[in-house]
Amino acid sequence: MGQNQSAPGGGPPGGQEGKDKEKKKKYEPPPPPPRVGKKQRRRDGASSLGTKLPTITPTAKCKLRLLKLERVKDWLLMEEEFVQNQERLKPADERNEEERTKVDDLRGTPLSVGTLEEIIDENHAIVSSAVGPEYYVTIMSFVDKTQLEPGSTVLLHNKGNQVVGILSDEADPAVSVMKVEHAPTESYADVGGLEQQIQEIKEAVELPLTHPELYEDIGIKPPKGVILYGEPGTGKTLLAKAVANSTSATFLRVVGSELIQKYLGDGPKLVRELFRVADDQAPSIVFIDEIDAVGTKRYDAHSGGEREIQRTMLELLNQLDGFDAMTDVKVIMATNRIDSLDPALIRPGRIDRKIEFPLPDQKTKRRIFQIHTGRMTLADDVNIEEFVMAKDELSGADIKAMCTEAGLLALRERRMCVTQEDFKKAKEKVLFKKKEGVPEGLYM
Amino acid sequence: MAKPEEAPKADGAADAKKKGDLDVEPGLLAEEELSEEDQKLKDDLELMVTRVGDADAGVQKLAIESLGNEIRTATSSMTSVPKPLKFLRPHYETLRAALEGLAPGAPNREALADVVSVLAMTSSEEGSRETLKYKLQGAPEDVAKWGHEYIRHLAGEIGEEYEERRSADSPVDDLMSLVDQIVPYDMTHNAEPEAVDLLLEVERISLLEQHADDKNYARTCLYLLGCHSYLPEPDDATVLRTAFNIYSKVGKHSDALRMALKLGSRELAEQAFAATAGDTFHQKQLAYILGRHGLALNLEDGPAAVADDDLREQLTQIMSNTKLNEQYLSLARDLDVMEAKVPEDVYKMHLVEGRAPAGPAVDSARANLASTFVNAFVNAGFGQDKLVTATSEDEKVHWIFKNKDHGKMSATASLGTVLLWDVEGGLPQIDRFLYSTDNQVVAGALLAVGIVNCGVLDEVDPALALLSDYVSKDDPQTRIGAILGLGIAYAGREKEEVAELLLPLVMDTDLSMEVSSIAALALALVFQGTANGDAVEAILQALMLRGEADLTQPGGRLMCLALGLLFLHRQGAVDATLEVAKTLDEKVSRFLQVILDVCAYAGTGDVLKVQQLLATCGEHIEAEEGTAWKTLHQSVAVLGLGLLAMSEELGGQMSHRALEHLLQYGEPAVRRAVPLALALLNVSSPDMSVMDTLSRLSHDTDTDVAMNAVLALGFIGAGTNNARLAGILRNLSSYYYKEPTLLYLVRVAQGLVHMGKGLLTLNPYHSDHTLLNGTALAGILAVLLAGGLDMKATLAGKQHYLLYCLTPAMKPRMLMTVDESGQMLPCPVRVGQAVDTVAQAGRPKTITGFQTHTTPVLLSVGERAELGTEKYTSASSTLEGIVILRENPDYVEMHE
Repeated sequence: MGQNQSAPGGGPPGGQEGKDKEKKKKYEPPPPPPRVGKKQRRRDGASSLGTKLPTITPTAKCKLRLLKLERVKDWLLMEEEFVQNQERLKPADERNEEERTKVDDLRGTPLSVGTLEEIIDENHAIVSSAVGPEYYVTIMSFVDKTQLEPGSTVLLHNKGNQVVGILSDEADPAVSVMKVEHAPTESYADVGGLEQQIQEIKEAVELPLTHPELYEDIGIKPPKGVILYGEPGTGKTLLAKAVANSTSATFLRVVGSELIQKYLGDGPKLVRELFRVADDQAPSIVFIDEIDAVGTKRYDAHSGGEREIQRTMLELLNQLDGFDAMTDVKVIMATNRIDSLDPALIRPGRIDRKIEFPLPDQKTKRRIFQIHTGRMTLADDVNIEEFVMAKDELSGADIKAMCTEAGLLALRERRMCVTQEDFKKAKEKVLFKKKEGVPEGLYM
Repeated sequence: MAKPEEAPKADGAADAKKKGDLDVEPGLLAEEELSEEDQKLKDDLELMVTRVGDADAGVQKLAIESLGNEIRTATSSMTSVPKPLKFLRPHYETLRAALEGLAPGAPNREALADVVSVLAMTSSEEGSRETLKYKLQGAPEDVAKWGHEYIRHLAGEIGEEYEERRSADSPVDDLMSLVDQIVPYDMTHNAEPEAVDLLLEVERISLLEQHADDKNYARTCLYLLGCHSYLPEPDDATVLRTAFNIYSKVGKHSDALRMALKLGSRELAEQAFAATAGDTFHQKQLAYILGRHGLALNLEDGPAAVADDDLREQLTQIMSNTKLNEQYLSLARDLDVMEAKVPEDVYKMHLVEGRAPAGPAVDSARANLASTFVNAFVNAGFGQDKLVTATSEDEKVHWIFKNKDHGKMSATASLGTVLLWDVEGGLPQIDRFLYSTDNQVVAGALLAVGIVNCGVLDEVDPALALLSDYVSKDDPQTRIGAILGLGIAYAGREKEEVAELLLPLVMDTDLSMEVSSIAALALALVFQGTANGDAVEAILQALMLRGEADLTQPGGRLMCLALGLLFLHRQGAVDATLEVAKTLDEKVSRFLQVILDVCAYAGTGDVLKVQQLLATCGEHIEAEEGTAWKTLHQSVAVLGLGLLAMSEELGGQMSHRALEHLLQYGEPAVRRAVPLALALLNVSSPDMSVMDTLSRLSHDTDTDVAMNAVLALGFIGAGTNNARLAGILRNLSSYYYKEPTLLYLVRVAQGLVHMGKGLLTLNPYHSDHTLLNGTALAGILAVLLAGGLDMKATLAGKQHYLLYCLTPAMKPRMLMTVDESGQMLPCPVRVGQAVDTVAQAGRPKTITGFQTHTTPVLLSVGERAELGTEKYTSASSTLEGIVILRENPDYVEMHE
């Protein structure tokens, strides 16, 4: 439809063929057909050969694997040698440098940013900029047309508004925020007790990423995800932090409430994006804290908001064990209300392991006390055992609060060390808060 | 998939963490950390350690035994070191000192040495090999009792130690006695790969045979076969030989035969065949495999002799593919594709968008020739079509005579392709053209006779009888027809009579180069991969005597290729000829050298050769119009990359990467051959990324690149009916509607894609991509090399008949199940994408994404089939081609 506009002869020569042929000595074939709008996902990599290295089977450690890896290495070395030689003979940089400056000249500065609305033919498109109207513009020949697709963000020339470049759309910025760039400082050593839990989470999350062959050896599929549940303050988030600390895999963390968005469909989209990023940057671990924000049991929803939350969960269900299998994405969820979660969410296959975090027993309490008092200056009379042996339901967080409180009390009195008395007061205070205003031992 | 380089890093991090744990524990919270049981265990162990130092032998013995017990019974998570080992770590030195303190021969020394050896696994320094050292001092048996982790460790150290001792020439008997214990343990405990690894390390792979039984043979042999492609030269043959012996031992003769064929050893093949004597069920299956591979054994006498006349006749019939045509037709009937197709059904012009080449074709002769080939390929083997075999009276002019002079030859020869494999029915139909007055038609008819007989052996040798007279006719075209006919009919059969006929023609310098070179090519087809002395000498002589003008013709190159084909897969045997090649005229010398090299090492994946080839491709040679020969060897080098790497998947994928670089940096001569190499690597397997690349190249501004890419598109889709590919080609046909040459090639490619209406394949590999049919490869190479290097002069010029060299590579891509008498036996089978199951635990699925069909079914490249019912058992473990079934005696009908 746009062809009979200003387009200069993109179509066939038409009627004057005969005359043309006589004039031209050699028939020039028409330009190759365009390949617009066929943008493929990056990891498909179908457009060029062998961008990805072949996967090596078997995964078990054996000589065959060694031989295969060596063969791949040999090939890569040869490639390197070849490319280096070629670069030496014909340096590509110089060639490219010139062309690049030319392209930069053509692009001009500053560039304006617009959205590609529609591709009319291989040379023309309709674009819209944030403020103004839509324009019918030409696409410069140096723009990679395979990357263009309606909706993508494009760079426009400041005067003529021609399409001169593409802004490669990275993942939703909301998702990139979730990526943990700096590993938390908490390590497994900072977790008191919980040996069983650490072992389970290691088996389910870390080992499949570092040693997949162990699972293959035994002939099982590694678990996909785990859910951590238990009383508040028992170390669920702490353990997740320790996992993030110890692994070099991409660690994405998100809180359940973040998945609830203002607009319809945004929540599920965010979930999709989240898992897409996780898949792109595999191996990766996705940690969803407070999953009960979105994962509660389904029931007849009355408000649109509730329905939206449920839809978000449905998307989560699909991402966890849907049609497309993710291999190198592991999911950790944490909640303290596992009984309210939708049974579909925690069925085996989606969440293969349910790890309970109980309140610490005496041994663990002692360990936690040791961790927290390890760096405190204690008076000689402090006897931790007393608190350890007491029958109060202390969680890890309570103990931490106690220690901090005791330290604060000592500070208030400008003492350099924390005494047993401080601890006693601190305990009372902490437990007072916990039991909602009923002081300990009042009615006993 | 965790990237391999990722793993160690993460691993290291985890390790560090673990070590951190260990460091923290004894320091800050040493005592409280341990639970009561742990403390007790630790105290006990410490007590035992002190007791070990006791003077009383009885006490000592008890202590050592209980130490051993603790270690052995300790179970723990795979994430951490077992507790006893952890607690004993600080005492390792004490125990070692105690051991050193004991006099050799002391009563408890051996037992203690065993314990120390186990401890050394975690406590000794890396590389000190103390596990092995103390094991050698310990009890000579009982390796097994310490568990497989220990055995693994020990095996690793044995490998290192062996390597060291071998370079020092010290005896290795003590190591061997350990190996003798470890291997049976591994073989009976699902750790076959480890057993193989160990034996490979100590170069005793043949020891494996005695430990293989019907439980572990499959995994073992699969692993051996997996290693085969990556091992250096003498080892690879040993490995195959071992696999052959194991298969023979457990009575899997069909697999044993495959190994023999992979080794290229006729004796072993005969041995495997003889082993099935008296068992017609298996023997016939072997005959089918031999028939597919194109190797005929002598059943009259020799090791594979069959006493029973009746049976011998049946077996010979199977082996010589006499029934192939019938089976193929029944496959076609079953799939309901008997209806003959005309080229227009393939072109599907009504689907072409945009500028359809309306009105009269630009070059009608070309168009007709293209239709001839399309018709020949599409109806190949069906025995009927609508152009050449049709005998309708209303049309006055037969299709053949609608072609111009040399076109008539190919048109007549296409009759042979249509009647492929049908010797009895086909020859009479061709016969009437032999008496034509037109030399071109006679030549075509002669070629057709050869094509019909391709791959089929007949007792009376009709091809030889008919063709031998015409070889010495005066007319060059008639001669060419007869010569190429002979070559195709007896491809890979090593027939002496053919050599006698052709040798003089090769050497005769009075003949035109075209005739001589075709004679050389025919000779090479018949004797491919044999390095036959007479043939080699004849071709070399011709190359020496011929003048410069002759050598730079396409014919000269064809001759070089012929010489290369004679050395297909012969590796070292080519060296002498290579030296001679260096002395030849400079116009062919380099070219011939590269051809010889790549042919001789075809499919080996030899990295050093690849490196040489890449270096050759990287040269930038200044070539002008008249000196194109200077760069020609580079094109061969590119094709050689594909040829070297085509045998295994890994090399294939890596060479794709290398080819991408060549496209980026290479000179025109290099770029031109890249599509051809891609075609060779992906014959009949239209991979998406390759298709995309070729489709891109088919619009290249360099016409040569575009032509080769178009031809390559045909090759990668040969016989697949791939719809996407067909679409690409249709678009190309409208894109190039004004370029007669390119349009002609697009048509040929379309014909290839729809070859045999999708029932045929050109892939030279069969039996699960393990066996290479040299004849098929030779045919493909002839077309790719001869055609690709100078398309305008050969395939798109007057030598289009070279396309018929593909006939030896045409094979039905079917799985047909038959009973012992050869009658079709429909049976459900699952067909799916093959999965690499080498060294996987348990009984992994061999196919994925399968569908269940009833035989006969079609198998694409990379697909595998397995029986979908328990009712039958098959005579061959690989379900491909024709497979004999019989009822499973243990089968119980399940009622719902």
